[in-house]
Amino acid sequence: MYDRIFAGTLLLLSGLIAWTAVGFDVPFQYEPLGPKAFPVILSILMALTAGWLLVKPSRNDWHPDRSVLMKLLAGLATMTLYAVLFESAGFIVATFLVGTVFSWLFGEKPWRAAAYSLALSLCGYFLLKDLLQLNVPAGALLGG
Amino acid sequence: MEIFNHLATGFSVALAPMNLILVLVGCFVGTLIGSLPGIGPINGVAILLPLAYAMGFPPESALILLAGVYYGAEYGGRISSILLNVPGDAGAIMTTLDGFPMSKRGEGGRALALSAVSSFAGSIGALLLMVISAPLLSQLAIQFGPSEYVLLMIFAFTCLATMVGSRPVKTLVGVLIGLLLATVGVDSGTGVLRFTMGIPNFFDGVDFLVVVIGMFAISEVLALLEQWARNDLSITPVGRSFVSFADLMKVKWVVLRSTIIGFLIGVLPGTGASIASAVAYGTEKRFAEGDNSQFGNGDIRGLAAPEAANNASAAGSMVPMLTLGIPGSGTTAILLGALMMFNITPGPLLFEQQPQIAWGLIASMFVGNLALLVMNLPMIGIFVRLLSIRQAYLVPVIVMLTFVGIYSIHGDSFDLYFMVLLGLFGFLLRKLHFSLAPVILGLVLGEVLEENLRRALSISGGDWSILLNGPMTYTLATATLVALLAPGLWRLWKKSRRADGAVDRKLVEEE
Repeated sequence: MYDRIFAGTLLLLSGLIAWTAVGFDVPFQYEPLGPKAFPVILSILMALTAGWLLVKPSRNDWHPDRSVLMKLLAGLATMTLYAVLFESAGFIVATFLVGTVFSWLFGEKPWRAAAYSLALSLCGYFLLKDLLQLNVPAGALLGG
Repeated sequence: MEIFNHLATGFSVALAPMNLILVLVGCFVGTLIGSLPGIGPINGVAILLPLAYAMGFPPESALILLAGVYYGAEYGGRISSILLNVPGDAGAIMTTLDGFPMSKRGEGGRALALSAVSSFAGSIGALLLMVISAPLLSQLAIQFGPSEYVLLMIFAFTCLATMVGSRPVKTLVGVLIGLLLATVGVDSGTGVLRFTMGIPNFFDGVDFLVVVIGMFAISEVLALLEQWARNDLSITPVGRSFVSFADLMKVKWVVLRSTIIGFLIGVLPGTGASIASAVAYGTEKRFAEGDNSQFGNGDIRGLAAPEAANNASAAGSMVPMLTLGIPGSGTTAILLGALMMFNITPGPLLFEQQPQIAWGLIASMFVGNLALLVMNLPMIGIFVRLLSIRQAYLVPVIVMLTFVGIYSIHGDSFDLYFMVLLGLFGFLLRKLHFSLAPVILGLVLGEVLEENLRRALSISGGDWSILLNGPMTYTLATATLVALLAPGLWRLWKKSRRADGAVDRKLVEEE
């Protein structure tokens, strides 16, 4: 079932890709193939393989129940939140919050998760920024 | 001998203090990553790559570090296989078969020690084969024109499709997704923007690192989240750790054969440690016919074979990456991408023009394997203790490192969003049994493939027959056909004699 949905999406996508590629506005080109041919060839192959998959999908063995789905969504939402906060709130705040949630999602007690994440974010900040000299956003809190 | 000069060059690079430290760090981190169930070498290399890049190492140092993680992980994978019956990475699946029964009867220390020595022997044997074969292969590859390269890549994708993953058609889809991702951005030939959807971040292409980290590390976090259950894994007591001379004598031919098998399978594009160890195990079981009743119950030959083979394949898969620019496994695809980020195109000229990279890496692998032997014999206790790190503490660190790594490349939050999105995509692909290694291979090779195809056809003025223009191309085309047909024939032959079911294709996932 999922295979079919995926293959169908790929089939649509390959059509879209081919259509976009054919529509490229190429002002000049010195070689016979140009920038259009390769994507067009790929999209044809993609359409063929997706078609095959549509006709002969594998049996699906992924049956996530509600709780698993909720957990996955929570994980995704947390990582998206991390991406939002990373620059604006800064590394320390973002890592503290997100680390706490993840630690808790993996079964740690809330207050211990928070303590661990606080230590992680502070140690991580100075280790990554000062020792490894990486580009770590300080955020509004530290006036970065 | 010329080889000794090359090796001297290599060791002068590998023994520079900074590189020496990086080898040790890489091997340590690699063993750790390999031993922790869940994070395999491919994730370890993926997480460390942006950090190594952002820290501004010279290319040879970055490569030495990342390669250390790669082959270090092949050592580490066996620790949790033996003690917990949980393979630490895909290459260590076969190690559970005989390793865990040994540790159940209280011989964990013996199993760990013997497998460490087998790993070491496999690595060093494969390295020697590499020293001999890599220059020869690069001599051959120097004569390759664009047509040969196009066919070589088609051969690589064919090997990948027929040998890796749950179904060939799914692997092909993966490759195509990767190749199409590689076309995003400005076309180097004409300056036309392709598939950028008007997003400036895509003008110079989809960032390789973002794809790798998103698809592997982020999707791995999601997978861990899905599988997570309160795990009270009990570690069986290690017992006394020792290597007995009698054990070594009993497995010496096993190790030698498995090394050669592992190396050859590693060299084949697309096939890596998991297949190598499975084939070596099967071969040894057949070799021991009449005396193989203990295989699966803790036979030391069944322990030595996969360990020698998976380490040999790690070295073997470096050969095509360095000499041809075609990676031999998912992890070497990332290493190749790493080299390309440093504006170094691996290929036949690498050995002549930048010997410090090619030979420096090879020499560092000798050093690294020695270090790994030390880490895995007397210091094994450290890793055993680290096995009990809880995921509640591990996952936040992984997430933190991936975000810092990606952010520090461009300092742009866009990459973070894109990475999370790719993580979801990668997770769905995994759930539908698409392997991710083909996507990365396609992404890494896409540009080279298109470039060579276009160059070949501009030489011929648009005549496609140039792709079959000489003995070398005929050979490659034949090899592709063989790779296409051989697995089917092999399966027919196997069905007719119903061998052991140990080689389960489902187990064969990413390296």
